Amino acid sequence: MKQSDKFRQANKEALATVIATVAVILFWWAAGFGLADCKTMILGTPLWVWGGCVGTWIFACVVVYLLIKFVYKDFDLDEEVSHE
Amino acid sequence: MSSIFNLLPVFAFLVFLLFVSLKIQRDSASDRAANFARDYFIGGRTLGGFVLAMTTAATYSSVSTFVGGPGVAWSIGWGWLYMAMVQVVVIFLVLGVFGKKIALVAHKIDAVTVIDVLRARYHSDMLANFAALVTVAFFCATMVAQFVGAAKLFEAVTGFSYVTGLTMFGLIVVFYTTVGGFKGVAVTDAFCAIAMLIGTCLLFGCMLSVGGGYLKIMSDMAVQHPDMLEPLSGGKMPMSLYISMWCLVGICTLSLPQSVVRSISYKDTKALHRAMLIGTIVIGAMTLFATSLGVVAKGVLTQPMSAYGSVDNITPRAIVESMGPFWAGVCIIGPVAATISTVSSLLLTASGSIVKDVYMNIREKQGKPLPNESIRTYSLVGTILIGIGVYWISISPPSVIWKINMFAFGGLETAFFWVLIFGLFWSKANKMGALFAMYGGVVIYCVSMAMKFNVLNLHQIVLGIGGSLVLFLVGNALGKEPDEATRRLFFPEQFD
Repeated sequence: MKQSDKFRQANKEALATVIATVAVILFWWAAGFGLADCKTMILGTPLWVWGGCVGTWIFACVVVYLLIKFVYKDFDLDEEVSHE
Repeated sequence: MSSIFNLLPVFAFLVFLLFVSLKIQRDSASDRAANFARDYFIGGRTLGGFVLAMTTAATYSSVSTFVGGPGVAWSIGWGWLYMAMVQVVVIFLVLGVFGKKIALVAHKIDAVTVIDVLRARYHSDMLANFAALVTVAFFCATMVAQFVGAAKLFEAVTGFSYVTGLTMFGLIVVFYTTVGGFKGVAVTDAFCAIAMLIGTCLLFGCMLSVGGGYLKIMSDMAVQHPDMLEPLSGGKMPMSLYISMWCLVGICTLSLPQSVVRSISYKDTKALHRAMLIGTIVIGAMTLFATSLGVVAKGVLTQPMSAYGSVDNITPRAIVESMGPFWAGVCIIGPVAATISTVSSLLLTASGSIVKDVYMNIREKQGKPLPNESIRTYSLVGTILIGIGVYWISISPPSVIWKINMFAFGGLETAFFWVLIFGLFWSKANKMGALFAMYGGVVIYCVSMAMKFNVLNLHQIVLGIGGSLVLFLVGNALGKEPDEATRRLFFPEQFD
Protein backbone atom coordinates (compact mmCIF):
# COMPACT_ATOMS: atom_id res chain seq x y z
CA MET A 1 0.00 0.00 0.00
CA LYS A 2 1.29 3.46 -0.85
CA GLN A 3 1.82 5.93 2.00
CA SER A 4 -0.95 8.19 0.73
CA ASP A 5 -3.35 5.23 0.52
CA LYS A 6 -2.58 4.32 4.12
CA PHE A 7 -3.58 7.82 5.19
CA ARG A 8 -6.75 7.57 3.10
CA GLN A 9 -7.55 4.27 4.77
CA ALA A 10 -6.82 5.74 8.24
CA ASN A 11 -9.21 8.63 7.54
CA LYS A 12 -11.88 6.21 6.38
CA GLU A 13 -11.46 4.10 9.51
CA ALA A 14 -11.67 7.16 11.75
CA LEU A 15 -14.95 8.13 10.10
CA ALA A 16 -16.29 4.58 10.43
CA THR A 17 -15.38 4.64 14.14
CA VAL A 18 -17.34 7.85 14.63
CA ILE A 19 -20.35 6.35 12.85
CA ALA A 20 -20.04 3.23 15.02
CA THR A 21 -20.01 5.40 18.14
CA VAL A 22 -23.17 7.19 17.02
CA ALA A 23 -24.77 3.78 16.41
CA VAL A 24 -23.87 2.67 19.95
CA ILE A 25 -25.33 5.88 21.40
CA LEU A 26 -28.57 5.40 19.46
CA PHE A 27 -28.80 1.77 20.55
CA TRP A 28 -28.12 2.75 24.16
CA TRP A 29 -30.91 5.32 24.02
CA ALA A 30 -33.42 3.00 22.34
CA ALA A 31 -32.68 -0.06 24.48
CA GLY A 32 -32.69 1.91 27.74
CA PHE A 33 -35.01 4.92 27.66
CA GLY A 34 -36.97 3.27 24.85
CA LEU A 35 -37.87 0.33 27.09
CA ALA A 36 -38.22 2.32 30.31
CA ASP A 37 -42.02 2.13 30.34
CA CYS A 38 -42.10 -1.59 29.68
CA LYS A 39 -43.10 -3.39 32.86
CA THR A 40 -41.41 -6.71 32.00
CA MET A 41 -38.94 -7.95 34.59
CA ILE A 42 -36.25 -10.57 34.01
CA LEU A 43 -34.71 -11.96 37.22
CA GLY A 44 -36.33 -9.14 39.15
CA THR A 45 -34.56 -6.56 36.99
CA PRO A 46 -36.43 -4.23 34.63
CA LEU A 47 -36.08 -4.92 30.91
CA TRP A 48 -34.55 -1.48 30.23
CA VAL A 49 -31.61 -2.36 32.50
CA TRP A 50 -30.89 -5.48 30.45
CA GLY A 51 -31.28 -3.63 27.17
CA GLY A 52 -29.54 -0.38 28.09
CA CYS A 53 -26.66 -1.87 30.07
CA VAL A 54 -26.00 -5.51 29.12
CA GLY A 55 -27.45 -4.96 25.64
CA THR A 56 -25.32 -1.89 24.96
CA TRP A 57 -22.21 -3.76 26.02
CA ILE A 58 -22.91 -6.67 23.68
CA PHE A 59 -23.96 -4.33 20.87
CA ALA A 60 -20.71 -2.36 21.20
CA CYS A 61 -18.64 -5.56 21.03
CA VAL A 62 -20.50 -6.71 17.90
CA VAL A 63 -20.05 -3.32 16.25
CA VAL A 64 -16.31 -3.36 16.93
CA TYR A 65 -16.08 -6.90 15.59
CA LEU A 66 -17.82 -5.84 12.37
CA LEU A 67 -15.51 -2.84 12.01
CA ILE A 68 -12.45 -5.05 12.34
CA LYS A 69 -13.84 -7.65 9.98
CA PHE A 70 -15.13 -5.41 7.21
CA VAL A 71 -13.73 -1.88 7.47
CA TYR A 72 -10.29 -1.91 9.04
CA LYS A 73 -7.32 -3.05 7.00
CA ASP A 74 -3.88 -4.25 7.98
CA PHE A 75 -0.86 -2.37 6.68
CA ASP A 76 2.73 -1.65 7.59
CA LEU A 77 2.99 1.49 9.71
CA ASP A 78 6.48 2.30 8.46
CA GLU A 79 6.92 3.85 5.07
CA GLU A 80 7.94 1.17 2.60
CA VAL A 81 11.17 1.89 0.81
CA SER A 82 10.26 2.69 -2.77
CA HIS A 83 11.56 0.41 -5.49
CA GLU A 84 12.17 3.04 -8.10
CA MET B 1 -9.90 -6.01 63.37
CA SER B 2 -6.58 -5.10 61.78
CA SER B 3 -4.52 -8.20 61.33
CA ILE B 4 -1.54 -8.99 59.20
CA PHE B 5 -3.77 -11.18 57.03
CA ASN B 6 -5.55 -8.04 55.84
CA LEU B 7 -2.31 -6.72 54.54
CA LEU B 8 -0.70 -9.79 53.10
CA PRO B 9 -2.62 -10.28 49.83
CA VAL B 10 -2.19 -6.69 48.63
CA PHE B 11 1.43 -6.67 49.67
CA ALA B 12 2.11 -9.92 47.80
CA PHE B 13 0.44 -8.50 44.69
CA LEU B 14 2.51 -5.31 44.86
CA VAL B 15 5.75 -7.21 45.29
CA PHE B 16 4.83 -9.37 42.31
CA LEU B 17 4.34 -6.24 40.17
CA LEU B 18 7.67 -4.95 41.35
CA PHE B 19 9.40 -8.10 40.15
CA VAL B 20 7.62 -7.97 36.81
CA SER B 21 8.83 -4.43 36.38
CA LEU B 22 12.41 -5.23 37.35
CA LYS B 23 12.44 -8.12 34.90
CA ILE B 24 11.23 -5.84 32.12
CA GLN B 25 13.91 -3.33 32.98
CA ARG B 26 16.58 -6.02 32.64
CA ASP B 27 15.16 -7.36 29.41
CA SER B 28 15.07 -3.98 27.76
CA ALA B 29 18.55 -2.90 28.79
CA SER B 30 19.92 -3.11 25.25
CA ASP B 31 17.00 -1.18 23.71
CA ARG B 32 17.45 1.51 26.30
CA ALA B 33 21.13 1.78 25.58
CA ALA B 34 20.25 2.44 21.93
CA ASN B 35 17.40 4.92 22.35
CA PHE B 36 16.36 5.52 25.92
CA ALA B 37 13.47 7.91 25.35
CA ARG B 38 11.78 5.63 22.83
CA ASP B 39 11.98 2.55 25.01
CA TYR B 40 11.20 4.32 28.28
CA PHE B 41 8.25 6.46 27.21
CA ILE B 42 6.50 4.21 24.66
CA GLY B 43 8.04 0.78 25.16
CA GLY B 44 9.82 0.81 21.80
CA ARG B 45 6.49 0.35 19.96
CA THR B 46 6.20 -3.33 20.78
CA LEU B 47 2.84 -3.72 22.52
CA GLY B 48 0.66 -6.60 21.38
CA GLY B 49 -3.13 -6.52 21.24
CA PHE B 50 -3.86 -8.03 24.64
CA VAL B 51 -1.48 -5.81 26.61
CA LEU B 52 -2.55 -2.72 24.66
CA ALA B 53 -6.21 -3.44 25.47
CA MET B 54 -5.55 -4.12 29.13
CA THR B 55 -3.32 -1.12 29.72
CA THR B 56 -5.77 1.24 28.02
CA ALA B 57 -8.68 -0.18 30.03
CA ALA B 58 -6.75 -0.28 33.32
CA THR B 59 -5.51 3.29 32.93
CA TYR B 60 -9.04 4.39 32.26
CA SER B 61 -10.64 2.54 35.18
CA SER B 62 -9.63 4.24 38.37
CA VAL B 63 -10.44 4.16 42.04
CA SER B 64 -13.72 5.91 41.15
CA THR B 65 -14.76 2.78 39.27
CA PHE B 66 -14.75 0.98 42.62
CA VAL B 67 -15.53 3.67 45.17
CA GLY B 68 -17.29 6.76 43.77
CA GLY B 69 -19.26 4.93 41.08
CA PRO B 70 -20.71 2.05 43.12
CA GLY B 71 -21.31 4.42 46.04
CA VAL B 72 -23.55 6.65 43.96
CA ALA B 73 -25.20 3.59 42.39
CA TRP B 74 -26.09 2.47 45.92
CA SER B 75 -28.08 5.64 46.44
CA ILE B 76 -29.45 6.12 42.89
CA GLY B 77 -29.96 2.62 41.54
CA TRP B 78 -29.84 1.20 38.03
CA GLY B 79 -29.93 4.66 36.45
CA TRP B 80 -26.34 5.21 37.53
CA LEU B 81 -25.22 1.97 35.88
CA TYR B 82 -27.10 2.93 32.73
CA MET B 83 -25.24 6.23 32.70
CA ALA B 84 -21.90 4.55 33.43
CA MET B 85 -22.33 2.26 30.41
CA VAL B 86 -21.38 5.19 28.16
CA GLN B 87 -17.86 4.03 28.92
CA VAL B 88 -18.12 1.07 26.53
CA VAL B 89 -17.22 3.43 23.68
CA VAL B 90 -14.05 4.88 25.20
CA ILE B 91 -11.52 2.26 24.11
CA PHE B 92 -12.55 1.68 20.53
CA LEU B 93 -13.24 5.36 19.97
CA VAL B 94 -9.75 6.59 20.82
CA LEU B 95 -7.95 3.69 19.15
CA GLY B 96 -10.21 3.76 16.10
CA VAL B 97 -10.09 7.50 15.46
CA PHE B 98 -6.48 8.30 16.35
CA GLY B 99 -4.81 4.88 16.45
CA LYS B 100 -3.57 4.62 12.90
CA LYS B 101 -3.21 8.22 11.90
CA ILE B 102 -1.02 9.08 14.88
CA ALA B 103 1.00 5.90 14.46
CA LEU B 104 1.71 6.68 10.79
CA VAL B 105 2.94 10.16 11.65
CA ALA B 106 4.78 9.05 14.79
CA HIS B 107 6.72 6.39 12.91
CA LYS B 108 7.81 8.97 10.37
CA ILE B 109 9.02 11.59 12.83
CA ASP B 110 9.99 9.18 15.62
CA ALA B 111 7.57 10.76 18.11
CA VAL B 112 7.31 9.35 21.62
CA THR B 113 4.66 11.62 23.14
CA VAL B 114 1.40 13.17 22.01
CA ILE B 115 2.99 16.59 22.41
CA ASP B 116 5.74 15.57 19.95
CA VAL B 117 3.01 15.05 17.38
CA LEU B 118 1.38 18.40 18.21
CA ARG B 119 4.72 20.14 17.93
CA ALA B 120 5.32 18.65 14.49
CA ARG B 121 1.84 19.70 13.40
CA TYR B 122 1.65 23.25 14.72
CA HIS B 123 5.34 24.22 15.21
CA SER B 124 4.55 26.14 18.35
CA ASP B 125 6.48 26.08 21.61
CA MET B 126 3.75 28.15 23.21
CA LEU B 127 1.30 25.37 22.42
CA ALA B 128 3.58 22.48 23.32
CA ASN B 129 4.73 23.98 26.61
CA PHE B 130 1.21 24.87 27.67
CA ALA B 131 0.07 21.37 26.75
CA ALA B 132 2.87 19.96 28.90
CA LEU B 133 1.92 22.26 31.79
CA VAL B 134 -1.76 21.34 31.60
CA THR B 135 -0.87 17.67 31.45
CA VAL B 136 1.41 17.77 34.46
CA ALA B 137 -0.90 19.93 36.59
CA PHE B 138 -4.05 17.92 35.92
CA PHE B 139 -2.26 14.59 36.11
CA CYS B 140 -0.84 15.44 39.53
CA ALA B 141 -4.31 16.38 40.78
CA THR B 142 -5.69 13.11 39.45
CA MET B 143 -2.89 11.06 40.98
CA VAL B 144 -3.46 12.65 44.39
CA ALA B 145 -7.19 11.93 44.12
CA GLN B 146 -6.40 8.34 43.23
CA PHE B 147 -4.00 7.85 46.11
CA VAL B 148 -6.37 9.44 48.58
CA GLY B 149 -9.31 7.33 47.44
CA ALA B 150 -7.37 4.11 47.60
CA ALA B 151 -5.70 4.88 50.94
CA LYS B 152 -9.06 5.73 52.54
CA LEU B 153 -10.52 2.52 51.24
CA PHE B 154 -7.50 0.63 52.51
CA GLU B 155 -7.85 2.14 55.96
CA ALA B 156 -11.57 1.43 56.17
CA VAL B 157 -11.21 -2.18 55.06
CA THR B 158 -8.02 -3.34 56.74
CA GLY B 159 -7.92 -1.18 59.85
CA PHE B 160 -4.33 -0.17 59.14
CA SER B 161 -3.76 3.56 59.07
CA TYR B 162 -4.24 5.73 56.00
CA VAL B 163 -0.53 6.51 55.85
CA THR B 164 0.45 2.83 56.06
CA GLY B 165 -1.61 1.98 53.01
CA LEU B 166 -0.57 5.07 51.10
CA THR B 167 3.08 4.45 51.83
CA MET B 168 2.90 0.81 50.86
CA PHE B 169 1.27 1.09 47.46
CA GLY B 170 2.33 4.69 46.83
CA LEU B 171 6.03 4.06 47.09
CA ILE B 172 5.88 0.71 45.31
CA VAL B 173 4.01 2.12 42.32
CA VAL B 174 6.37 5.07 42.06
CA PHE B 175 9.33 2.75 42.18
CA TYR B 176 8.10 0.21 39.67
CA THR B 177 6.99 2.90 37.23
CA THR B 178 10.40 4.51 37.45
CA VAL B 179 12.32 1.34 36.71
CA GLY B 180 9.88 -0.33 34.32
CA GLY B 181 9.13 2.58 32.00
CA PHE B 182 6.22 2.32 29.59
CA LYS B 183 6.57 -1.39 28.96
CA GLY B 184 6.64 -2.04 32.70
CA VAL B 185 3.56 0.12 33.13
CA ALA B 186 1.73 -1.66 30.32
CA VAL B 187 2.45 -5.18 31.53
CA THR B 188 1.71 -4.42 35.19
CA ASP B 189 -1.48 -2.69 34.01
CA ALA B 190 -2.52 -5.92 32.33
CA PHE B 191 -2.10 -7.79 35.62
CA CYS B 192 -3.98 -5.01 37.39
CA ALA B 193 -6.90 -5.29 34.97
CA ILE B 194 -7.12 -9.02 35.64
CA ALA B 195 -6.94 -8.38 39.40
CA MET B 196 -9.76 -5.84 39.11
CA LEU B 197 -12.01 -8.32 37.31
CA ILE B 198 -11.30 -11.03 39.90
CA GLY B 199 -11.78 -8.67 42.85
CA THR B 200 -15.09 -7.46 41.44
CA CYS B 201 -16.45 -10.97 40.86
CA LEU B 202 -15.40 -12.05 44.34
CA LEU B 203 -17.09 -9.12 46.01
CA PHE B 204 -20.16 -9.56 43.85
CA GLY B 205 -20.53 -13.18 44.90
CA CYS B 206 -20.05 -12.41 48.61
CA MET B 207 -22.56 -9.59 48.60
CA LEU B 208 -25.15 -11.71 46.89
CA SER B 209 -24.82 -14.42 49.50
CA VAL B 210 -24.92 -11.97 52.43
CA GLY B 211 -27.86 -10.09 50.91
CA GLY B 212 -29.86 -13.30 50.52
CA GLY B 213 -29.46 -13.74 46.75
CA TYR B 214 -29.97 -11.48 43.77
CA LEU B 215 -33.70 -12.10 43.46
CA LYS B 216 -34.38 -11.24 47.08
CA ILE B 217 -32.32 -8.04 46.89
CA MET B 218 -34.19 -6.97 43.77
CA SER B 219 -37.65 -7.77 45.10
CA ASP B 220 -36.91 -5.87 48.33
CA MET B 221 -35.73 -2.95 46.23
CA ALA B 222 -38.94 -2.99 44.18
CA VAL B 223 -40.91 -2.62 47.41
CA GLN B 224 -38.72 -0.24 49.40
CA HIS B 225 -37.04 1.86 46.71
CA PRO B 226 -39.06 1.54 43.48
CA ASP B 227 -37.40 4.66 42.03
CA MET B 228 -34.07 2.81 41.96
CA LEU B 229 -35.54 0.69 39.17
CA GLU B 230 -36.29 3.71 36.96
CA PRO B 231 -33.77 5.34 34.61
CA LEU B 232 -34.47 8.84 35.93
CA SER B 233 -34.54 7.53 39.50
CA GLY B 234 -37.51 9.66 40.57
CA GLY B 235 -35.70 12.81 39.43
CA LYS B 236 -32.30 12.03 40.96
CA MET B 237 -30.88 11.26 37.50
CA PRO B 238 -32.06 14.15 35.30
CA MET B 239 -31.63 13.96 31.55
CA SER B 240 -29.04 16.75 31.66
CA LEU B 241 -26.84 14.49 33.78
CA TYR B 242 -27.01 11.75 31.17
CA ILE B 243 -26.03 14.15 28.42
CA SER B 244 -23.22 15.64 30.51
CA MET B 245 -21.82 12.23 31.25
CA TRP B 246 -21.94 11.17 27.63
CA CYS B 247 -19.66 14.10 26.93
CA LEU B 248 -17.44 13.94 30.00
CA VAL B 249 -16.77 10.23 30.43
CA GLY B 250 -17.82 9.14 26.95
CA ILE B 251 -17.06 11.02 23.76
CA CYS B 252 -14.60 13.63 25.02
CA THR B 253 -12.30 11.02 26.59
CA LEU B 254 -11.20 10.65 22.99
CA SER B 255 -8.59 13.32 23.59
CA LEU B 256 -7.15 12.26 26.97
CA PRO B 257 -3.38 12.27 26.37
CA GLN B 258 -2.82 9.18 28.55
CA SER B 259 -5.09 7.24 26.16
CA VAL B 260 -3.92 8.85 22.94
CA VAL B 261 -0.27 8.07 23.71
CA ARG B 262 -1.19 4.40 23.44
CA SER B 263 -1.69 4.97 19.73
CA ILE B 264 2.06 5.44 19.38
CA SER B 265 3.00 2.35 21.35
CA TYR B 266 1.59 -0.69 19.57
CA LYS B 267 3.43 -3.14 17.37
CA ASP B 268 1.28 -3.46 14.25
CA THR B 269 -2.25 -2.91 12.98
CA LYS B 270 -3.30 -6.43 13.98
CA ALA B 271 -2.46 -5.60 17.60
CA LEU B 272 -4.53 -2.41 17.35
CA HIS B 273 -7.57 -4.25 15.99
CA ARG B 274 -7.39 -6.95 18.65
CA ALA B 275 -6.97 -4.32 21.36
CA MET B 276 -10.13 -2.54 20.27
CA LEU B 277 -12.21 -5.68 20.63
CA ILE B 278 -10.63 -6.99 23.85
CA GLY B 279 -10.63 -3.50 25.34
CA THR B 280 -14.34 -3.01 24.65
CA ILE B 281 -15.20 -6.38 26.17
CA VAL B 282 -13.09 -5.69 29.28
CA ILE B 283 -14.15 -2.09 29.91
CA GLY B 284 -17.80 -3.10 29.46
CA ALA B 285 -17.49 -5.99 31.90
CA MET B 286 -15.64 -3.86 34.42
CA THR B 287 -18.19 -1.04 34.30
CA LEU B 288 -21.12 -3.41 34.41
CA PHE B 289 -19.96 -5.50 37.36
CA ALA B 290 -18.21 -2.84 39.44
CA THR B 291 -21.13 -0.41 39.21
CA SER B 292 -23.75 -3.13 39.80
CA LEU B 293 -21.89 -3.86 43.03
CA GLY B 294 -23.25 -0.59 44.33
CA VAL B 295 -26.83 -1.48 43.42
CA VAL B 296 -26.52 -4.95 44.92
CA ALA B 297 -24.96 -3.46 48.06
CA LYS B 298 -28.42 -2.09 48.84
CA GLY B 299 -29.22 -5.60 50.05
CA VAL B 300 -26.27 -5.57 52.47
CA LEU B 301 -26.26 -1.95 53.62
CA THR B 302 -29.93 -1.40 54.26
CA GLN B 303 -29.91 1.71 56.42
CA PRO B 304 -30.41 5.25 55.07
CA MET B 305 -27.47 7.29 53.84
CA SER B 306 -27.02 9.16 57.14
CA ALA B 307 -25.92 5.91 58.80
CA TYR B 308 -22.92 5.64 56.48
CA GLY B 309 -21.78 9.26 56.19
CA SER B 310 -20.99 9.63 52.51
CA VAL B 311 -21.29 7.56 49.33
CA ASP B 312 -17.53 7.03 49.42
CA ASN B 313 -18.00 4.83 52.48
CA ILE B 314 -20.34 2.42 50.75
CA THR B 315 -17.77 0.20 49.05
CA PRO B 316 -15.53 -0.24 52.12
CA ARG B 317 -18.53 -0.92 54.36
CA ALA B 318 -19.90 -3.43 51.88
CA ILE B 319 -16.55 -5.25 51.78
CA VAL B 320 -16.22 -5.34 55.54
CA GLU B 321 -19.78 -6.51 56.12
CA SER B 322 -19.81 -9.22 53.51
CA MET B 323 -16.52 -11.04 54.04
CA GLY B 324 -13.89 -12.04 56.58
CA PRO B 325 -10.57 -10.23 57.01
CA PHE B 326 -8.52 -12.44 54.69
CA TRP B 327 -10.96 -12.29 51.78
CA ALA B 328 -11.48 -8.58 52.38
CA GLY B 329 -7.72 -8.25 52.03
CA VAL B 330 -7.84 -10.17 48.74
CA CYS B 331 -10.76 -8.11 47.56
CA ILE B 332 -9.15 -4.72 47.92
CA ILE B 333 -6.48 -5.81 45.46
CA GLY B 334 -9.11 -4.83 42.87
CA PRO B 335 -9.45 -1.15 43.80
CA VAL B 336 -5.75 -0.87 44.65
CA ALA B 337 -4.92 -2.30 41.21
CA ALA B 338 -7.30 0.22 39.60
CA THR B 339 -5.52 3.02 41.42
CA ILE B 340 -1.94 2.07 40.76
CA SER B 341 -2.57 1.25 37.10
CA THR B 342 -3.94 4.75 36.60
CA VAL B 343 -1.19 6.41 38.62
CA SER B 344 1.61 4.54 36.83
CA SER B 345 0.49 5.72 33.39
CA LEU B 346 -0.12 9.29 34.50
CA LEU B 347 3.19 9.45 36.30
CA LEU B 348 5.10 8.31 33.25
CA THR B 349 3.25 10.67 30.91
CA ALA B 350 3.80 13.57 33.31
CA SER B 351 7.50 12.93 33.54
CA GLY B 352 7.64 12.50 29.75
CA SER B 353 6.02 15.92 29.37
CA ILE B 354 8.61 17.62 31.51
CA VAL B 355 11.72 15.76 30.42
CA LYS B 356 10.97 14.99 26.79
CA ASP B 357 8.56 17.69 25.69
CA VAL B 358 10.02 20.64 27.53
CA TYR B 359 13.60 20.07 28.63
CA MET B 360 14.93 17.93 25.76
CA ASN B 361 13.32 20.33 23.34
CA ILE B 362 15.00 23.36 24.88
CA ARG B 363 18.36 21.60 24.65
CA GLU B 364 17.79 20.71 21.01
CA LYS B 365 16.85 24.30 20.21
CA GLN B 366 20.11 25.43 21.79
CA GLY B 367 21.96 23.00 19.56
CA LYS B 368 23.05 20.93 22.55
CA PRO B 369 20.90 17.79 22.36
CA LEU B 370 21.06 15.59 25.44
CA PRO B 371 23.14 12.44 25.10
CA ASN B 372 21.30 9.16 25.67
CA GLU B 373 22.89 8.67 29.09
CA SER B 374 21.66 12.05 30.37
CA ILE B 375 18.16 11.43 28.98
CA ARG B 376 18.19 8.29 31.08
CA THR B 377 19.22 10.12 34.24
CA TYR B 378 16.77 12.97 33.77
CA SER B 379 13.87 10.65 32.96
CA LEU B 380 14.44 8.41 35.97
CA VAL B 381 14.97 11.33 38.34
CA GLY B 382 11.98 13.20 36.88
CA THR B 383 9.66 10.24 37.32
CA ILE B 384 10.72 9.53 40.87
CA LEU B 385 10.55 13.20 41.94
CA ILE B 386 7.02 13.71 40.60
CA GLY B 387 5.97 10.42 42.17
CA ILE B 388 7.35 11.27 45.60
CA GLY B 389 5.81 14.75 45.35
CA VAL B 390 2.38 13.28 44.67
CA TYR B 391 2.81 10.84 47.54
CA TRP B 392 3.76 13.72 49.82
CA ILE B 393 0.73 15.83 48.92
CA SER B 394 -1.52 12.79 49.43
CA ILE B 395 -0.47 12.44 53.06
CA SER B 396 -2.60 15.41 54.07
CA PRO B 397 -4.91 15.74 51.11
CA PRO B 398 -7.49 18.21 49.87
CA SER B 399 -11.08 16.88 50.15
CA VAL B 400 -13.66 15.48 47.75
CA ILE B 401 -11.98 12.82 45.61
CA TRP B 402 -14.47 12.55 42.87
CA LYS B 403 -14.71 16.25 42.03
CA ILE B 404 -10.97 16.80 41.77
CA ASN B 405 -10.75 13.83 39.52
CA MET B 406 -13.57 15.10 37.34
CA PHE B 407 -12.17 18.62 37.23
CA ALA B 408 -8.90 17.31 35.86
CA PHE B 409 -10.62 14.96 33.47
CA GLY B 410 -12.63 17.73 31.82
CA GLY B 411 -9.69 20.13 31.77
CA LEU B 412 -7.52 17.69 29.85
CA GLU B 413 -10.29 16.87 27.44
CA THR B 414 -10.94 20.54 26.72
CA ALA B 415 -7.25 21.27 26.18
CA PHE B 416 -6.62 18.51 23.67
CA PHE B 417 -9.95 17.79 21.98
CA TRP B 418 -10.05 20.12 18.96
CA VAL B 419 -6.31 20.57 18.80
CA LEU B 420 -5.92 16.84 18.17
CA ILE B 421 -8.98 16.29 15.99
CA PHE B 422 -8.43 19.28 13.70
CA GLY B 423 -4.69 18.79 13.74
CA LEU B 424 -4.98 15.27 12.42
CA PHE B 425 -7.99 15.51 10.15
CA TRP B 426 -8.21 19.08 8.86
CA SER B 427 -5.28 20.19 6.78
CA LYS B 428 -6.16 23.89 7.08
CA ALA B 429 -6.07 23.88 10.86
CA ASN B 430 -3.28 26.24 11.90
CA LYS B 431 -1.20 27.32 14.85
CA MET B 432 -3.31 30.34 15.77
CA GLY B 433 -6.50 28.27 15.87
CA ALA B 434 -4.86 25.64 18.05
CA LEU B 435 -3.48 28.24 20.46
CA PHE B 436 -6.87 29.92 20.80
CA ALA B 437 -8.60 26.60 21.33
CA MET B 438 -6.21 25.22 23.92
CA TYR B 439 -5.67 28.35 26.04
CA GLY B 440 -9.22 29.65 25.66
CA GLY B 441 -10.89 26.30 26.23
CA VAL B 442 -8.99 25.59 29.43
CA VAL B 443 -9.71 29.09 30.76
CA ILE B 444 -13.43 28.86 29.94
CA TYR B 445 -13.67 25.41 31.50
CA CYS B 446 -11.79 26.25 34.69
CA VAL B 447 -13.48 29.60 35.25
CA SER B 448 -16.99 28.23 34.69
CA MET B 449 -16.15 25.24 36.88
CA ALA B 450 -14.86 27.45 39.69
CA MET B 451 -17.82 29.83 39.47
CA LYS B 452 -20.25 26.90 39.17
CA PHE B 453 -21.67 28.55 36.06
CA ASN B 454 -23.47 26.31 33.58
CA VAL B 455 -25.90 26.31 30.68
CA LEU B 456 -29.10 24.21 30.72
CA ASN B 457 -27.77 22.42 33.78
CA LEU B 458 -25.12 20.71 31.66
CA HIS B 459 -21.64 19.99 32.98
CA GLN B 460 -19.03 22.67 32.25
CA ILE B 461 -17.25 20.31 29.85
CA VAL B 462 -19.95 21.18 27.31
CA LEU B 463 -19.09 24.89 27.65
CA GLY B 464 -15.36 24.20 27.55
CA ILE B 465 -15.52 22.03 24.43
CA GLY B 466 -18.04 24.31 22.72
CA GLY B 467 -16.07 27.46 23.54
CA SER B 468 -12.86 25.80 22.44
CA LEU B 469 -14.42 24.94 19.05
CA VAL B 470 -15.57 28.51 18.43
CA LEU B 471 -12.18 29.87 19.46
CA PHE B 472 -10.40 27.42 17.17
CA LEU B 473 -12.44 28.58 14.18
CA VAL B 474 -11.89 32.26 15.03
CA GLY B 475 -8.16 31.81 15.60
CA ASN B 476 -7.86 29.74 12.46
CA ALA B 477 -9.33 32.53 10.36
CA LEU B 478 -6.71 34.92 11.75
CA GLY B 479 -3.70 32.64 11.36
CA LYS B 480 -1.92 31.60 8.21
CA GLU B 481 -2.08 28.18 6.60
CA PRO B 482 0.41 25.50 7.63
CA ASP B 483 3.41 25.14 5.31
CA GLU B 484 3.69 22.50 2.66
CA ALA B 485 6.17 20.27 4.51
CA THR B 486 3.75 19.94 7.42
CA ARG B 487 0.85 19.19 5.14
CA ARG B 488 2.90 16.59 3.28
CA LEU B 489 3.72 14.92 6.59
CA PHE B 490 0.19 14.85 7.98
CA PHE B 491 -1.86 14.76 4.76
CA PRO B 492 0.18 13.04 2.04
CA GLU B 493 -3.06 11.89 0.42
CA GLN B 494 -3.69 15.48 -0.71
CA PHE B 495 -0.52 15.49 -2.79
CA ASP B 496 -1.09 12.25 -4.62
